[in-house]
Amino acid sequence: MNANPSKGSTLAEIPISIETLRSRQPRFRGLESGHRACQGCGEALAARLTTEAAGPDVVVANATGCLEVFTTPWPQSAWRLPWIHSVFGNVAAVAAGMEAALKQQGRATQVLAFAGDGGTFDIGFQALSGMMERGHNVMFVCFDNEAYMNTGVQRSGSTPHAAMTTTSPPGRERMGKRHMKKDILSIIAAHHIPYAATASVAFPSDLRKKVRRAMDTEGASFLQIHSPCPLGWGHDGAKTIEVARLAVQTGLFPIIEMERGELIGTLPIRNPRPVSDYLKLQNRFRHLFADDFRARKELEHLQAIADRNIERYELRGVRAESYDTEGADTVHRGGDRWA
Amino acid sequence: MPLALEGSQALARAIALCRPQVVAAYPITPQTHIVEGIAKLVADGQLDCEMVSVESEHSAASVALGAAVAGSRAYTASASQGILLMAEVLFDIAGLRVPLVMTCANRALSGPLNIWNDQQDSMAMRDSGWIQLYCATNQEAIDTTVQAFRIAERCELPVMVCVDGFTLTHTLEPLEMPTQEQVDGFLPPYFFRHGLHPDEPRSLGTLVGPEHFSEVRHAHHHALLRAQDEIVQADADWGEVVGRQYGGLLEVRGEPEATLGILTLGSVLGTLEDAMEENPDLPRARFIKLRSFRPFPAQALREACAGLEHLIVLERALSPGYGGIVGPEVQAVLAGQSSPPKIYNVAAGLGGRDMSLELYGRLVDLIASGREPEPFCIIDADPMLLPEEDR
Amino acid sequence: MTLIPPGAFARPGTSLDFKTGTWRVEKPIHQRRAAPCHAACPAGEDAQAYLAQVEMGNLRGAWETLVSANPLPAITGRVCHHPCESACNRKDYDEAITIHGVERFLGDRAMQEGWAYPVADPGRDAPPVAVVGAGPAGLSAAYHLVRAGYRVTLVEAMPVAGGTMRTAIPRYRLPTETLDQELERLLALPGIHFRPQTKLGRDISLQELQAEHQALFLGPGRRKGREWSADFAVPGDLHTGLQLLEAWVSEGTLPDQPRSVAIVGGGNTAVDLARVLRRQGVENVHLISHQRVPAPDVPADDAMRATYREVSQAIEEGVIIHEHRGVRRLILRGERVVGMELVHMKKLAGPDGRLRRVAFEGTETVLHVDHVIPAIGQDVDPEGFNGLVVRGQIMVEPWWGEVADHTGIFSGGDARSDHGTVSEAVGDGRRAALGIARRLSGRPLEPQATLEPIPYGDLNLHYFESLPAAREPVLPPDQRRGLEEIEGGLDGSGVRNEAHRCLSCGDCLACDNCWTLCPDQSVLKTRDVAADGSHYVFDYNYCKGCGICAHECPTGYIRMVPE
Repeated sequence: MNANPSKGSTLAEIPISIETLRSRQPRFRGLESGHRACQGCGEALAARLTTEAAGPDVVVANATGCLEVFTTPWPQSAWRLPWIHSVFGNVAAVAAGMEAALKQQGRATQVLAFAGDGGTFDIGFQALSGMMERGHNVMFVCFDNEAYMNTGVQRSGSTPHAAMTTTSPPGRERMGKRHMKKDILSIIAAHHIPYAATASVAFPSDLRKKVRRAMDTEGASFLQIHSPCPLGWGHDGAKTIEVARLAVQTGLFPIIEMERGELIGTLPIRNPRPVSDYLKLQNRFRHLFADDFRARKELEHLQAIADRNIERYELRGVRAESYDTEGADTVHRGGDRWA
Repeated sequence: MPLALEGSQALARAIALCRPQVVAAYPITPQTHIVEGIAKLVADGQLDCEMVSVESEHSAASVALGAAVAGSRAYTASASQGILLMAEVLFDIAGLRVPLVMTCANRALSGPLNIWNDQQDSMAMRDSGWIQLYCATNQEAIDTTVQAFRIAERCELPVMVCVDGFTLTHTLEPLEMPTQEQVDGFLPPYFFRHGLHPDEPRSLGTLVGPEHFSEVRHAHHHALLRAQDEIVQADADWGEVVGRQYGGLLEVRGEPEATLGILTLGSVLGTLEDAMEENPDLPRARFIKLRSFRPFPAQALREACAGLEHLIVLERALSPGYGGIVGPEVQAVLAGQSSPPKIYNVAAGLGGRDMSLELYGRLVDLIASGREPEPFCIIDADPMLLPEEDR
Repeated sequence: MTLIPPGAFARPGTSLDFKTGTWRVEKPIHQRRAAPCHAACPAGEDAQAYLAQVEMGNLRGAWETLVSANPLPAITGRVCHHPCESACNRKDYDEAITIHGVERFLGDRAMQEGWAYPVADPGRDAPPVAVVGAGPAGLSAAYHLVRAGYRVTLVEAMPVAGGTMRTAIPRYRLPTETLDQELERLLALPGIHFRPQTKLGRDISLQELQAEHQALFLGPGRRKGREWSADFAVPGDLHTGLQLLEAWVSEGTLPDQPRSVAIVGGGNTAVDLARVLRRQGVENVHLISHQRVPAPDVPADDAMRATYREVSQAIEEGVIIHEHRGVRRLILRGERVVGMELVHMKKLAGPDGRLRRVAFEGTETVLHVDHVIPAIGQDVDPEGFNGLVVRGQIMVEPWWGEVADHTGIFSGGDARSDHGTVSEAVGDGRRAALGIARRLSGRPLEPQATLEPIPYGDLNLHYFESLPAAREPVLPPDQRRGLEEIEGGLDGSGVRNEAHRCLSCGDCLACDNCWTLCPDQSVLKTRDVAADGSHYVFDYNYCKGCGICAHECPTGYIRMVPE
């Protein structure tokens, strides 16, 4: 017998038009097709997953950055949510204003703030800190792609140590970024907000669960979503999920949850991997694989950072169970668990 | 019945009468008493409003923006450095055509540090796309604030009400406060056509490319020009309610038939009027009180200047390296007229320098000397305090 | 033309005007690829397909999928050497799926519930086809011919159907009731005319069959023992392994009661007989094989042909296996055997590249036994086949099974030198039925490619969890005496466990990964099954071809192809 001939699903094969099928999707689509993100964009996916879980009764403030640019080139918008972009550093304040307004009006619509790592760790940090300190009922989502991607990959406070960006290039005197990635979650946690968590596009069900949890939280909540940037990190767009997954499996991006500054949950590492497995997929770490002492030293340095994360959050050992399904990265026939 | 009130307190009450739903502010001298007043009204339950005490002026403007687009009447206030820290947000608010009102308690800009009154801060926002209304008195500030909300919401443009710091904000005087019924009758509940609501999920603040940006700017410019009618109408309508009017875009006062004109913005007018009355031997002047600086009332100004031979434009700010800011604009709109007046552009009262009654005499002397007008001078500066090369 | 509103706001979802599909250089497609179990199944079963139905709780649907290839699952679930499990991708992850256990469960369930084959009555006017031999090949051919709309005359020399399954498989492996029930249902199919006790060449001739039918399928068993000698010595009391086994299976006894026996051969007959002898109380049962005990690390051409499961159970029961040995000569006292000389042997590639057995001089040993039984295979008895049987076999085209130079005559099963198992026979019967249908409808018998199974590396194993396989209960060796079935079946939870463990290699799991992970919202979920068998549709208007869906598809069902 022949294997079935290869064919793609096309419009002709289903009894309804593809537009109708699109309109009948059983999930809320906050972010529509036709946006102009690069192929394999982790941030677009993260925003999609976040808005799907957050549902339609929200208003969104979006900081300047890729997400804002690729979704709203006038006259088009990919959003199906009420959405505003103001400037780079004020997203938390705009969101706070919206929240104050809705509160005053007695409306239950949830306010979301979207920012990249620049709009969170750096230029937007003051407004974010103020918003959290005042306890606005805002879910702040940081799409962390670890550099200023919109302007062409410059280092940010979130760029990992030793990563290459256009403003932290490796050379005779440097091995990429000299400084550490800012531990933003600890800083956020120090605001004593009711809920703060990290998530990753590689673990969508965990991500959705956290979005819903943050939505249910009265007061400020914070979500940091690790979102690979194929262009900025220098990896194949098809491997966005794999790269994100490896960041978690190596311990370089711990998936944790905090309530009022207390660690309440972690995503255990099921298949521990050395950091080099993660790094070698990305051009931004290519210089670490040169045959010289500095490169070896920085590789070990990153491994040590990962080891420290694993130790600090007990990502292995007691907490980690080999059959863990809390991470919910396992598939099941018939899907739906991710719906 | 007039009440003896500090200007800031009166403004706080006037703002409360407009029923703002969200007020966001960061304290800065000399604006502080206004927001303290509002905070107290909220604390006392006299104003149902979310008072957001933000961590910077940048956030104050942003909170106001967020509130306005989310369907609430929003207000903020600032001054000086605060205005500059807000600057990028102010441009954004105007460009997004969001209606909200702010008070600028006018103050000098750093550096060096100076906390006293001039108008360099609001002048620096000249091109932000906001409507700017300058008030000569606290009574005018109260009435203009009420008008400002209606203008903003009808024109879908933000309005900055400029009130001289200290001179007005910190002065105690008898003032007529409108009643809540008067304000409610004049100012309908807040409505923003293009606000954010899940029922009609618009995207505000899009990326507009070269193919459309000029049209967006054209529309904004013309919206400001059209706002002149609304400013005039608001002044007239509110005048019918309270019996006080301020001339709409500008007001001609003093000696209407005089051939000497003096154009001012803000509170200095009162000093000059007093000086003219106290010095009957000095030539009398026609005062042109420019109320709306943006939009710039070209036609009203031409009419107000008809028959003038000399026009002194007195400013509280400057554009270093050129000279005046308002003066050149006045000169430009009068340039096409048959026999336009000679224009004398001066600045005075920078950084809170006292403008005494003698100022009127010094201004009149500019004309009396018969000399050709200098392009610009800071009339009350004493060059002898400077090293020789700086005089 | 869109007029620019104040502040240049935009309307929701208007990005749909921008067709990002134009950016694409590669596009994802759904491509059903054969699961290794499917590719490896001699009977042509798609285990992955019926495991999926089991997991959805549709047991009857699963059985119907199963019997669309193999009408005898209760039998093959017991006796097959299950190459599906050796091929199963899951073995590289943790343990292979216990596929035979699921197959057996479904077959047994169908009998308990009395499920009918999903086969329509071909009607009285359907074209007639004759099938010779009611063993697994002939039964399968008859069944598939009826499915294809033909009437079948099934002739069998014996009084009952079953062939080797009845004569040479011990009852402890295949209980009679199971065999009878499965065969009764098949023979009762409308369209099958079963004629037992009709021996070709004695009761009916090939020419008569040909005259009355439009095509023929020949499925004879191998019942003629091959001549065997060691160094030209033949013991006087020689019986072949098959003779002894058949005697035991049918009568429950053996003619002799030796003390020690050497069985020569490594096939199922040899192993079954060895185990029978142990049950009969023979103390020392030796098995002499040129090959090795089959195991995962033993190459197929160096492994005994008997099923691993059977060999290991035989060892448990005390059978002594001499691997890589051949018989050099018999040690006779008169005509009676008292021992044999063994020598180490191995298959080695000769100068022409072909494998041949080589004996290593100086490795000879003596084994004292009082009986030797050759079980080296049998031939088809050529009588009645009018010369179609050559050197004990029928030469056929390997896929369809058409006899060389005899259009319309097909054969398979034991008649082929390369096929000797029940499952292979079932597969031969099915393909021959399809071939006959082609011939009779005038379509050519095009050469068919074998299924290319999806390799382990094309799956994304991250999405699965390690889970131990369900195992069947097995009688402990000391309780294996009579005819009681040694292996029990999986229970319902075991079967669900195995279905759940199936990786669904090369087929859509409907797991929602592609739908969930597309950054461009370009995978749409369908309520029904899409025409290509998946549950999703690519919207190529917007798909940018990033490849995430393909990379993250756990089952390798999505492929990227150039635009």
